[in-house]
Amino acid sequence: MTARTLAVVSAGLSQPSSTRLLADQLATATRDELVGGGDPVELRPIDLREHAHDIVNHLLTGFPSEPLRQVLAQVTGADGLIAVTPIFNASYSGLFKSFFDLVDAETLGNRPVLIGATGGTARHSLALEHAVRPMFTYLRATVLPTAVFAAPEDWSGGTAEGALRARIGRAGRELADEILRRPAASGPADPFALTTNFEQLLRGGDPGPS
Amino acid sequence: MQFGVFTVGDVTVDPTTGREPTEAERIKAMVTIALKAEEVGLDVFATGEHHNPPFVPSSPTTMLGYIAARTERLLLSTATTLITTNDPVKIAEDYAMLQHLADGRVDLMMGRGNTGPVYPWFGQDIRNGIPLAIENYDLLRRLWREDVVDWKGRFRTPLQSFTSTPRPLDGVPPFVWHGSIRSPEIAEQAAYYGDGFFANHIFWPAEHTRRMVELYRQRFAHYGHGTADQAIVGLGGQVFMRRNSQDAVREFRPYFDNAPVYGHGPSLEEFTAQTPLTVGSPQQVIDRTLGFREYVGDYQRQLFLLDHAGLPLKTVLEQLDILGEEVVPVLRKEFESLRPAHVPVAPTHASLRAAQAAADGETPAGDLAGTGAEAGQ
Repeated sequence: MTARTLAVVSAGLSQPSSTRLLADQLATATRDELVGGGDPVELRPIDLREHAHDIVNHLLTGFPSEPLRQVLAQVTGADGLIAVTPIFNASYSGLFKSFFDLVDAETLGNRPVLIGATGGTARHSLALEHAVRPMFTYLRATVLPTAVFAAPEDWSGGTAEGALRARIGRAGRELADEILRRPAASGPADPFALTTNFEQLLRGGDPGPS
Repeated sequence: MQFGVFTVGDVTVDPTTGREPTEAERIKAMVTIALKAEEVGLDVFATGEHHNPPFVPSSPTTMLGYIAARTERLLLSTATTLITTNDPVKIAEDYAMLQHLADGRVDLMMGRGNTGPVYPWFGQDIRNGIPLAIENYDLLRRLWREDVVDWKGRFRTPLQSFTSTPRPLDGVPPFVWHGSIRSPEIAEQAAYYGDGFFANHIFWPAEHTRRMVELYRQRFAHYGHGTADQAIVGLGGQVFMRRNSQDAVREFRPYFDNAPVYGHGPSLEEFTAQTPLTVGSPQQVIDRTLGFREYVGDYQRQLFLLDHAGLPLKTVLEQLDILGEEVVPVLRKEFESLRPAHVPVAPTHASLRAAQAAADGETPAGDLAGTGAEAGQ
């Protein structure tokens, strides 16, 4: 049986980070669902903080450093993606957006994505719906119906219980289901692959995938 | 192997003095650099083509024609000629004219240009970049090879019984390179016609260049122009040299840190590790440049970018001295000793004329060595 890969991106900035905590809990819930169904899972935790300088450099130079190239390949080549951002000024963090600005528009097409966010107040929760979801929709990802927002009150007591716990469980089931509906990912697309031939180009054919 | 310089023609403030050259100074500096390139024994000078500030070289054949008149041996080229927004009819005429004036010391590098607003200034749309490059170049080839052309396409008015004048010198069109950073379609185009492929190289990781060149070589063989290692490859390079490498780093750093393309991003050390940029001693440049061959194979042309990011002309001329005196002679010898016999040198007007004469079953007339910079000398 093929191991399913799950990229778990957190844009949390502090350490420890509640954004990372939420991402981990979403990853665990998804993994438990998949493993329970007999599917091995490989988690790929990615903290954008560690790649912050490389992300800016890529924006400026147009190419990724080798570590960042590997991170991008891990994300675009995974069976599923969990993407969690802190909400700053009523939207995703700049670091989160900058990272996904480096993801080519086609590479997440039809990929199941579970979105989550943390914020200083529950009043930020709809940022998931007005900012994060449209961005992944633009990238043609399959964004799951359940998006998970965690406010400070959700963490009180040190563990996520109650409403948040139930929501994480539901989101994990949705992501696992979507992953299992698809064949295992074949890895990231090769940007240097020739998808046409010259006769086609000369006839005015679309240079896109044939 | 051919060695030379290529220039973007940017007008950039010198970050160490705050001084910005005038357009007149920059244009004259480009000419001075070209003349110096010949003086120090380089083979090629290639100018960019841009139609927006802060760049000055909007009219490459005007500049190259002037340089042609003041040089004897230097091969004049472009980096790049905009095959997307220029009318292919005008390219055919301009560069055939230049060929005659320069006695065949001309080739071109085709590029698309990556600045969206430039396209509509010339009646085009950047979304058609690849189709424009394909259609325009196919027409350009016909204009140089067929005396009378009937043609109809998507992007320009049809041609009926059209003859592009003057005809190419000796009936031999200029050799063409295709430059692309990341479009496999352009590597495919170069391979299809058996033209040269030039990898910009300088702003990108080596792995990136390796993949593009590998694709071009495979497709060159696929289209029956020879074996993959006989494909005609050119590379960019970017260097700054001083006798002691620490001096080079110290002097170049402010230019690097403020450079328009990569400034305020990665550190000089990071960028040097990630791209072919080499800042150090002449020996370091020699070693690094010889290393390019390890991932692209034996190649035919190496162009260096020296005059950008606000570096003063005096410094650029010093760089050319070092390049011509200490670096290129060694590279020439080393590359030539490594090149297998079946791998060709870069085509020149002389070699193309000889090949055409051979194909026509004739003995080429005249002194071949008199035209064009002979590669590998």
